Amino acid sequence: MAYFRVTLLRSAIGLPKKTHGALAALGLRRRMNTVYHPVSQDVAGMIMKVKELVDVQEVEQPLTKTEMREMRRPDPGFYVEKRAGLGR
Amino acid sequence: MFGPFRASSPLSGGLLWKIPWRLSSPQKYRHRLRLRRVDKVVSIVDSALAKKGLSTKGLERWKDEMPKEQEMLPKDKYTVFDRKEKKYRKGIHKVPKWTRVSQRLNPPGY
Repeated sequence: MAYFRVTLLRSAIGLPKKTHGALAALGLRRRMNTVYHPVSQDVAGMIMKVKELVDVQEVEQPLTKTEMREMRRPDPGFYVEKRAGLGR
Repeated sequence: MFGPFRASSPLSGGLLWKIPWRLSSPQKYRHRLRLRRVDKVVSIVDSALAKKGLSTKGLERWKDEMPKEQEMLPKDKYTVFDRKEKKYRKGIHKVPKWTRVSQRLNPPGY
């Protein structure tokens, strides 16, 4: 099943109430917030209302908050060969 | 004439913001990027719906009426119709919230 990944890039401050309403209906509360919605006509209509403010991708599976956070984690630059104190 | 207490228009008259009459070239460049970003969002939504054999009225109307960034004339990209202006055109940066609204069409003949 396909999903829309919607990220709010620009704030709707000062824009009409309907724009704020579409963002609230999508579940976008602050900038850089990401939500997943199944591909459907009503979601597409809401995205079209706020198309200037959001980034949209079509993805196969929605990611959880923890998974998205893990993807953002930078490479630590080392790996652990052996833990100390386990040789007993 | 010089110094912190000179008589300048903002000091003597209070609030004065000056908006230049034309866009600078980096402003134009960022404006084109924004137009393209909106085009990309519309095309992604369209292709995702088309895979399911769906479409919406708003999407169809946008595709019928709105030109893409590449199809737009520079005149329509960077200026808008205004009946109060000389030659009926003003810079698009004078439109309120111009970085977050889609303003692509103008009356025919102007």
